[in-house]
Amino acid sequence: MILDIDTKLLKKNAYRVTKQRGITALRIRVPGGDLNIKYLDIIKEIAEKYGNGTVHITTRQGFEIPGISMEKIDEINELISPIIRGLKDEGVQIEDEEGGYPAAGTRNVSACIGNRVCPFANYDTTVLALKIEKLIYPNDYHVKIAVTGCPNDCIKAHMQDIGIIGQVEPIYDPSRCIGCQACVKNCKRRVTGALTFENFKVVRDPNRCIGCGECILKCPTSAWTRDEKYYRIVIMGRTGKKNPRLAQTFIEWADEESVLKIIKNMYDFIDKYIDKTLDKEHVGYIVDREGFKKFKEEVLKDVKLPKKAKVANHIDYTGYRYERNTIYD
Amino acid sequence: MTNVYMPIKAEIVSIIPQTDIDYTFRLKSDILPQHGQFLQVSIPKIGEAPISISDYTDEYIELTIRKVGTVTDAIHELKPGDFLFIRGPYGHGFPVEDFKNKNVVIAAGGTGLAPVKSIINRYNRNPKEIKKLNILVGFKSPKDILFEDEIKKWKEKFDVLLTVDNGDETWKGNTGLITKFIPDLKIENSDDTIVIVVGPPMMMKFACLEFLKRGILEENIWVSFERKMSCGIGKCGHCKINETYVCLEGPVFNYTKSKQLLD
Amino acid sequence: MGIELDVKSFDDALKILSKNYKIFAPVRLKGKGAFSDTDLVTYGEISSYKDIELNEKSRYSPKEVIYPITQTLFYFTEDEYKEPEIDDKGIIVFLRPCDANSYLKLDNIFLKNGPYEDNYYKRLRDKVKFFIIECTKGFSTCFCVSTGSNKFLDYDVFVRFDNDKITCDVKNDEFSYAFSGKEVEFIPEFIEKNEIEVKLPDIDKISQNLEYVFNHELWDEYTKRCIACGRCTVSCPTCSCFSMQDIFYKDNPKCGERRRVWASCMVDGFTDVAGGHSYRQKYGERMRFKVMHKIYDYKKRFGTTMCVGCGRCDDVCPEYISFIKIVSKVTDAVDRGESK
Ligand code: SF4
Ligand code: SF4
Ligand code: SF4
Ligand code: SF4
Ligand code: SF4
Repeated sequence: MILDIDTKLLKKNAYRVTKQRGITALRIRVPGGDLNIKYLDIIKEIAEKYGNGTVHITTRQGFEIPGISMEKIDEINELISPIIRGLKDEGVQIEDEEGGYPAAGTRNVSACIGNRVCPFANYDTTVLALKIEKLIYPNDYHVKIAVTGCPNDCIKAHMQDIGIIGQVEPIYDPSRCIGCQACVKNCKRRVTGALTFENFKVVRDPNRCIGCGECILKCPTSAWTRDEKYYRIVIMGRTGKKNPRLAQTFIEWADEESVLKIIKNMYDFIDKYIDKTLDKEHVGYIVDREGFKKFKEEVLKDVKLPKKAKVANHIDYTGYRYERNTIYD
Repeated sequence: MTNVYMPIKAEIVSIIPQTDIDYTFRLKSDILPQHGQFLQVSIPKIGEAPISISDYTDEYIELTIRKVGTVTDAIHELKPGDFLFIRGPYGHGFPVEDFKNKNVVIAAGGTGLAPVKSIINRYNRNPKEIKKLNILVGFKSPKDILFEDEIKKWKEKFDVLLTVDNGDETWKGNTGLITKFIPDLKIENSDDTIVIVVGPPMMMKFACLEFLKRGILEENIWVSFERKMSCGIGKCGHCKINETYVCLEGPVFNYTKSKQLLD
Repeated sequence: MGIELDVKSFDDALKILSKNYKIFAPVRLKGKGAFSDTDLVTYGEISSYKDIELNEKSRYSPKEVIYPITQTLFYFTEDEYKEPEIDDKGIIVFLRPCDANSYLKLDNIFLKNGPYEDNYYKRLRDKVKFFIIECTKGFSTCFCVSTGSNKFLDYDVFVRFDNDKITCDVKNDEFSYAFSGKEVEFIPEFIEKNEIEVKLPDIDKISQNLEYVFNHELWDEYTKRCIACGRCTVSCPTCSCFSMQDIFYKDNPKCGERRRVWASCMVDGFTDVAGGHSYRQKYGERMRFKVMHKIYDYKKRFGTTMCVGCGRCDDVCPEYISFIKIVSKVTDAVDRGESK
């Protein structure tokens, strides 16, 4: 059998070159990790008929169907067309629904379960994930984005190029406060100790408050309630062989509009500064090369941040390098 | 509408330190309370606290106040000529009318002596009112002894047993908990003897049991409770024990009642 | 006889009434729920029909209207005690029968317990006019029929909200001037059966068996399950406990105020006496204390059960502790204990 395959196209189509010759694996995108159950039938069918009867759940919340013969790609692309159409119906720009995934560089936008289920979540992460997916997909640039409902960061937004963490501004009505100090004790024990008790009422230090919303959840009288939704944007976290590191805060108390615009602008930044001689370049390394200042300038272009927003002046990445950080006996 | 939370202003005429942390404040006042009643005492902007009346005449009342919290700390800063704000008296005191012509034993631990001091002084002024008075007072250590001068005076007329839990080098008196001395107390006519027990919860509990062993009738034992109170008048709920408002039905209780105050 | 109104004429009536009254009703506060994108249903001032939330039970009760969470008793300037003034306007409260009955329960504490009437309570309570919201279905945790709080006859106005048709029985003539509409036959209805029926314990049996009930093992599990958050008491329309607080103003330490603030027997600190001692440290003991207050000792004192069966304590407990279940357990224990 002759196998003459453009592996670049194959990868762009969300298939993989595996260790077994002629055998590939397909990655199904699940924006926000939230999938209509009807698509599971399709995934099941492909895994049973074309794959090896298993499905792997990826770290980015997609499904990977292994054990597929490369010859069957066209057939499979036809089979997954309802899933692709589903994306299109949600507003993702897709031209050819029968041709499989149009790009794979920009990874699935993952999300924690968010406020549809989780009491801690400060917003509906599924909705935001989808909005971001619409904004950035399809695209070949290698970018990882995740959104999480609160600073617990269950989705590990700190390991992404862009991580979005839900914040809320807690509003205090002293006349409703019975001074039980549940909020104060909890903020001290589980968060940052932003609250103190003075004159039988609670005082919040806005510089310490990370907008997790725990105080609102703890208050028996609703003395704390929610105000506007905000987002903390953390950037350039990564794993990998060269200098893995946690993302650091770029902006706190950003609104949704700014979040989306900043993400969009980041793609323009990549476009402008990526090293085109390379096969691919990860955005984190571009920022490392060009500098945070330039990045900041570019991504904040035409962004109207809310008054409350705080933008990092510079970022001190603490990540580590394999060759340097460990001192051996 | 009368404001039941409105206190009256009372001038401090003298302050007598008893120990480092217990001072007796004499206030100009014509309040004539029952023995064992309490007042709500406040300083504006600092707070209010229930304080039992340790003595009174028709010209003054005395409050012996231990420095144990925000309000009492601030009261300790005051000087003669300053004012305290008081409302009350509240609650039920000891039914002294019923004690007439009987043997009376008063057992007080620590600050528990304050609410019964006025009764002792009453009998001191008027010893004929009762048949006999035995006084048992206990303090943690010699430096915690309250009303030392008065205790000396009482000794002239009554059987007074003073003890401390822990003595020091100079202490030559009794040591040990009050309960230790109850079995050997001279009680003549146990079913005609009134016993008053006031002190910390544990002390009251065990002292009462000892007195019962001595044949004292339950209905002849009287105790006084200390509870958190915000209003003193049956509204705030803090002092409630099961179905009983200490501020209304107490702070003085007969043992038949107090033994049912389950917490 | 009743008066039938459409939304427009009902709103007109509210407008007329608002000249002399502050009008309170259950309202929906968008996005103010503890969880994001949820609402808070609670009591608030209203000015029109659309402000009234009729489909959901309010998380907090109308007691706030006459007994605010934080209430200033005195303002201090130097050593002067000054009582705060209050609004001259009267108070109209739209409430369901259970909540209307809760006002009578609060009356017992604030006006009848002990030798004095609480003047701060009284001055607001005296202003209250009861506008009863007809409630014939209730909600899933209601048991007002079991506590005898399903009816409230001593109302000023009784209102049936039937979608956009509003029928009122204006019992208090003082309010006739505000309502103009078609006269119709109207018999106010009260709920006769809740989804839940609770057998309350016989209080005499408890009295006779007090130690048995108090020391019963049924309380023990709550020492572990309850987190002493106080939500059950804060939402309860009949809980009336408070603490007093004195403060001085940070910007002017010479001035300050004394206020009272709701307190809860479930929350730490409720029994703390100066010097550090406290009582009922175990949460199971607090649970016993609360439950006994609601169904036993208050009744012994005032002849009526404190709990009005609104079910809020069950609705709000984050640990899914059911007061209703506890009451049943107590009744059971008392009945069984008796037969022993
Ligand atoms: S939002 Fe979080 S960090 Fe801010 S005060 Fe509340 S509990 Fe503390
Ligand atoms: S949890 Fe609520 S009631 Fe308790 S101290 Fe905090 S704000 Fe006040
Ligand atoms: S105890 Fe529960 S059911 Fe009863 S009145 Fe209070 S909140 Fe309502
Ligand atoms: S249940 Fe507790 S908080 Fe409620 S009224 Fe009774 S004692 Fe007060
Ligand atoms: S709401 Fe539940 S957990 Fe909180 S104090 Fe009441 S019973 Fe305990």
